[in-house]
Amino acid sequence: MSTSPIGSSTSRVDGVLKVTGGAKYAADNMLTNMAYGYLVTSTVGKGTISAMTTSGALASPGVLAVYTPFNPLKLYAYGGDENDEFTPPLQDKNVRYRGQVIGMVVAETFEQARDAAALVTATYSTQTPVTAMAKSASGSGTVSEVYNTSIVHHHAMEPHATVASWSGTHLTIYTATQGTPLVVSRLSHALGVSSANIHVVNPYVGGAFGGKWGNWAHTPLTAAAAQALGRPVKTVLTREQVFTVVGHRPNTSQTVSLTANSSGTISALKHIATVSKSNSSNFTENPASVSKSTYAAGSISTAQTPVSMDIPATTIMRAPGEANGSFALESAIDELAVALNMDPLALRQKNYAKTVPGGSTPWSSKHLAECYTTGAGAFGWSQRSAKPGQVTNGDWLVGLGMATAAYPAGRSASTLMVRLQNDGTAVVSGTGSDAGTGQATVFAILGAAALGIPVAQVSAELGDSTLPTAANAGGSGSTSSNGTAVNVAAQAAISALIQLAISNTSSPFHGKSASSVTYKNGNLTSGSTTISFGALLTKINVAGVQATGTSAKNTTSGYGFMSFGAIFCEVQVNKWTAEPRVTRLLAVMDAGTIVDAKTARSQIMGGMIMGIGQALLEGTILESDGRFANANLASYLVPVNADLPHIDVTFLNYPDTILNPIGMRGIGELGIVGAAGAVANAIYNATGKRVRDLPITLDKLL
Amino acid sequence: MQGFDYTAATTVTQAVGAAGTGSAYLAGGTTLVDLMKLDVMGPSTVIDINALPLTAVTTDSAGLHIGALARMSDVAANTQVTSAFPVLSQALLASASPQIRNMASIGGNLLQRTRCDYFRDVTVSCNKRSPGSGCPAQTGANRGHAILGTSTSCAATHPSDLAVALTALGASVQLQSGSGTRQVALSDFYVEPGTTPNVENTLQAGELITGVLVPPLPWATNSSYLKIRDRQSYEFALSSAAIAVEMSGSTITAARVAVGGVGTVPWRLPAVEAALQGQTATVANFTTAAAKAVTGAKTLADNAFKVTLVQRAIIRALSELLGVS
Repeated sequence: MSTSPIGSSTSRVDGVLKVTGGAKYAADNMLTNMAYGYLVTSTVGKGTISAMTTSGALASPGVLAVYTPFNPLKLYAYGGDENDEFTPPLQDKNVRYRGQVIGMVVAETFEQARDAAALVTATYSTQTPVTAMAKSASGSGTVSEVYNTSIVHHHAMEPHATVASWSGTHLTIYTATQGTPLVVSRLSHALGVSSANIHVVNPYVGGAFGGKWGNWAHTPLTAAAAQALGRPVKTVLTREQVFTVVGHRPNTSQTVSLTANSSGTISALKHIATVSKSNSSNFTENPASVSKSTYAAGSISTAQTPVSMDIPATTIMRAPGEANGSFALESAIDELAVALNMDPLALRQKNYAKTVPGGSTPWSSKHLAECYTTGAGAFGWSQRSAKPGQVTNGDWLVGLGMATAAYPAGRSASTLMVRLQNDGTAVVSGTGSDAGTGQATVFAILGAAALGIPVAQVSAELGDSTLPTAANAGGSGSTSSNGTAVNVAAQAAISALIQLAISNTSSPFHGKSASSVTYKNGNLTSGSTTISFGALLTKINVAGVQATGTSAKNTTSGYGFMSFGAIFCEVQVNKWTAEPRVTRLLAVMDAGTIVDAKTARSQIMGGMIMGIGQALLEGTILESDGRFANANLASYLVPVNADLPHIDVTFLNYPDTILNPIGMRGIGELGIVGAAGAVANAIYNATGKRVRDLPITLDKLL
Repeated sequence: MQGFDYTAATTVTQAVGAAGTGSAYLAGGTTLVDLMKLDVMGPSTVIDINALPLTAVTTDSAGLHIGALARMSDVAANTQVTSAFPVLSQALLASASPQIRNMASIGGNLLQRTRCDYFRDVTVSCNKRSPGSGCPAQTGANRGHAILGTSTSCAATHPSDLAVALTALGASVQLQSGSGTRQVALSDFYVEPGTTPNVENTLQAGELITGVLVPPLPWATNSSYLKIRDRQSYEFALSSAAIAVEMSGSTITAARVAVGGVGTVPWRLPAVEAALQGQTATVANFTTAAAKAVTGAKTLADNAFKVTLVQRAIIRALSELLGVS
């Protein structure tokens, strides 16, 4: 191996399994004697349950049990906060929101459980839920406007599912999660069971986006029901239940006020956010934080005000804070450019943050300026008409817009294991989660690079709580954290291999000093003897040699660590019927060393597509009684392929070696930051209409 | 899902013989099965009619005959349809998804139920699902709801694109029951909600749609279907327009116009057709004619934009079909 695979375009190592049905997701686990759980949810927005009738359900065919607050499965307080609900289900009779879990039916088949659940009725003492979202107050400046965003949902393709099975006091649980350790910790508290007795298995995750970080009501309930019934239980949420049983991204109302001189220098940036916050969860989004780090300004002030509401949990979702905040900030920058009669890109370049805004702290690695110029060149930004509504394509108005992407980078602790096997292959393993991101492929590539062997000879094992504790999939931190640990573990495995080679009596290196044996590209060499590790292990009759390696949390201070990018967008808006369509989308990203060009491109595209959804389609309508009016995927629209143009993604690929030796940063969230702003700004350029409320649907442009 | 008896018929006689009050015919199942799972529909007997010999598409002097069990995708691709009635093919291809079009039948398409989210959620009231219980859409989330043919009992739109195109073409459905056969024009088949939104058409209990007849209209070769929606695929219409135009030079000598996504039933617009007849094909004339589309429109809090949108859809459809801008 003379060429490093880092940065190559490698197809996902689990791709074939995934497209042929061979990847076993949580709900795919079919255990002997398994029963099926089905959740019953509240039909009022707030109140207390005075009675529940379960006799019909209990008499229904195949029903094994009906659990309610009047006949609960005992669950203990979760302890701590993981962006999910304060309290486990069924432990009290309070209804905190509509769609809250108030019961579970377990039956021999899914259909029997579902049909019986429909027979469970509840009587409520109702109160009026708080569902009104406050609008942010107006401000002042060269421009000052209020921007509003909607409640949106993760809606991973794989709905949340849990299969639980007990063997004595030991629980094995298959559940969709962004990190098996998160489930161990949560269930240990909720079930009152030692962590050592909980085994969480989840090698494949069908998308997560923050929605599978927390553990939602079905997980402890399913585990407790399986224990109570003495047989495995599977619970899969319906798509409608995913809307309320699982948390969502809060809606926001944000005032951005920018004060600038005529040459575009911003002297004051004020970003005040009002955000909805569920009375059932602790998470509060901070959209204004994006304004602290994106542009230089004489003074920057940010604030947020949560509005407590009787709604399902508010939780983290891809770029929590930044996705909403950047829409407001990037729209406001565009509005300032209009007010000053400046090019919006030139205005951004004018207020370029050469250091972390508010001081002289340097960036670990920042090449946003190159993102701007490279992107502008490739996109043809110079063709943009400064005056809106001037460019047409037949009956379509054409507009160009852009925005800055910025998202914090970090590195948390991770331990991984590397195992070298007698067939010449290697395995990189740890608890980390590949929620469709490509993390398993990154493990294989980095393992191959560290060991000097082909990627095809390295496999990844993830999603098992008994493996070494790697970083969970969140905050765009997996690759920076786990990727660094791959190298450490690989070096440890090589050391272990050499120790074995000099100590095993059948080894050609027996008795030599460790320092005399060198490892390169899969081979051990000492003197004139060279043998591959596979051949050596075979010769000495050892199946494999393994070692763990730990990479600590980043403690380097004195730098700002962020990823950056520029997103350029072309939209066309029909002059008669006003539907906006994204016709071109281009991103240039400064995200450190890219490990796998192919899955990285997919990650950025996925973020940008989610941004198109945020900009044009997605939004849950909250009714005054706390009901989500459009809680199904026919009425809550996400983009389909027909909505998407070719998406051009370029990575600058400058290593951030202050963050980690390979220079990797995260890319999971970066793509969505700025995407909605770029779309909104392009729509303004096309039509001359500034829409400050998401989603930008055609009725706002007619 | 409520329990039901299942029977499979192999002849039309057998099917209608098994049918009665509380029964439902199963063709593609793309609406019925969904709504049964949601407990919105609960037939006591489901009669599988997929084996019935009703899939043919033929043309004779009476017009185009489409068997009720022809699948949407097959009809959309049928050359008799694409050549003589492009508006039908376009309406079908703008509907649902390829997978659904492969399953769903023409008869079932005409009988599909509204997508109103109150209708589909049994935890809330709905006069169509549960007569007399109320209509939350009147004051609730009603951006997608109808502006034409509504009542205080119901404002749900009819969801079929195909029915809009067929209505423009003056098509009829052929019906069969134990008491014989009859033919009903689509304009007489669908019923506005009034005070009984649970009654959606003039089908009698157990009556089966066996086919659709589209009468000859030579100039329907110059026809099109325009569907406006938030998402470019796999979504129901906010507004749609089915048009066919006969031209003599630059003069419109006859026109057919029907709209969808705005009416409680597929909505033919004779006043717009009359306003177009004899006019030169100009955007100004299209605009004048389209203004007659919204006579009697009643809007709710969130759907007033449809008054504008439906007119624009007509103007745009005419502009694109006739190459006038």
